Amino acid sequence: MGFFELLAQTYPQLLLGLWITVESTLISLIIAAFLGLLFGLMSVSKKKVARGIARVYVDIIRGTPIIVQAFFIYFGITSALGIRMTPLVAGIVALSLNAGAYSAEIFRGGIQAIARGQMEAARSLGLPYSMAMRKVILPQAVRTMLPSLVNQCIITLKDSSIMSVIGLADLTFTGKIIIANNLESFKMWLMVGILYFIVISLLSYASKVLERRMSYAKG
Amino acid sequence: MPKVEIKNLKKYFGDLQVLKDINLEVDEGEVICVIGPSGSGKSTMLRCINALEEATSGTIIVDGNEITGEPANINIYRRDIGMVFQQFNLFPHMTVMENITFAPVSLKILTKEEARKTALRLLKRVGLEEKVDAYPGQLSGGQKQRVAIARALAMNPDVMLFDEPTSALDPEMVGEVLNVMKKLAQEGMTMIVVTHEMGFAREVSNRVIFIDEGYIVEQGSPEELFGRPQNERTINFLNMIL
Repeated sequence: MGFFELLAQTYPQLLLGLWITVESTLISLIIAAFLGLLFGLMSVSKKKVARGIARVYVDIIRGTPIIVQAFFIYFGITSALGIRMTPLVAGIVALSLNAGAYSAEIFRGGIQAIARGQMEAARSLGLPYSMAMRKVILPQAVRTMLPSLVNQCIITLKDSSIMSVIGLADLTFTGKIIIANNLESFKMWLMVGILYFIVISLLSYASKVLERRMSYAKG
Repeated sequence: MPKVEIKNLKKYFGDLQVLKDINLEVDEGEVICVIGPSGSGKSTMLRCINALEEATSGTIIVDGNEITGEPANINIYRRDIGMVFQQFNLFPHMTVMENITFAPVSLKILTKEEARKTALRLLKRVGLEEKVDAYPGQLSGGQKQRVAIARALAMNPDVMLFDEPTSALDPEMVGEVLNVMKKLAQEGMTMIVVTHEMGFAREVSNRVIFIDEGYIVEQGSPEELFGRPQNERTINFLNMIL
């Protein structure tokens, strides 16, 4: 069968898989943004306990493979607690926790890169720490963090393919199922690869536009 | 009652004692210049006055409020203590107008309209009304520092602290900043200025304080301190820089 014939035949299934990929990635990234901000702020906090908790979280996630984290959540936690979790939920939990830890590091780096003088200037005007952080430090930090955050989005999108091992019916999983039927490994994996590539290229393009719009006269 | 009162101030950074025993009273409307070698503790003393550095021991009272001992109201007290930094520290993501109006509006001290009027008046005072919509990145060092002074004044402070305000400037821009400070002094602002500008200290200040190795070694009117320094360390320092 030719490439385009095959595409015409399988695209409804592939698009469904792609949707699951995009959906699980998007939800995970939203949760990860909150986790990243929260743990990022904790890791620059004056309070030792907050810093410690953030450190442990980041170290655990960074120190273990994401596939082990997925298995641990989908099989380990469910059996230990006697609960059921769909592959989608387990996949989102694993991806969120993973991306959250890396985002926390991005936030920490971004906040620390804003000169200490900015915080001091804001505090010297009488602003409370939280307001100074929200209105002076974070708006600047996010600008410098943007490339790293986009990079993290791309990594998470690609990592979502690993969730196919716990049965998440994403693009990769769909590709595997189709190939099991038609044995067209070469063409099908090419198609899957192209689909990932298109989505990621769109994401990169959107980020460039965003970056341009957020830039300001530097000094 | 003095505007600023520092009693037995000591400050350690780890094992290093930067301030050994500082005692100082500043009256309302007084302009104090603080001089001394780098590393002598003069900037640290200044930063203790608005609690950007926490005093290890001793008390600092500004306008009747105790700043030391981590008071719950420190954010309120700081509103009345303006600070100007060596590196300007303007907010680069805000225009000049936003830099000046940001704190009074965010803290609900002024409405947006009042803050705009105040900002325009202050910009006129520092000679930069045409830069109101510029971003800090588009300004020269001297202009940045004048905006920073306007930003501090927008909070209507009782005391102004200057931490080497001209040290990061190209020489040709020092004058414009000093002129603004001189005007401010003439209008009766209480000022504490850490500086290496001896000409300014001599001309504008009521009192010059020489700090070395964490102590106030000598103080007096500019005529006394520059004309008839008593302490050997003061004499050596002045010989080195004048």
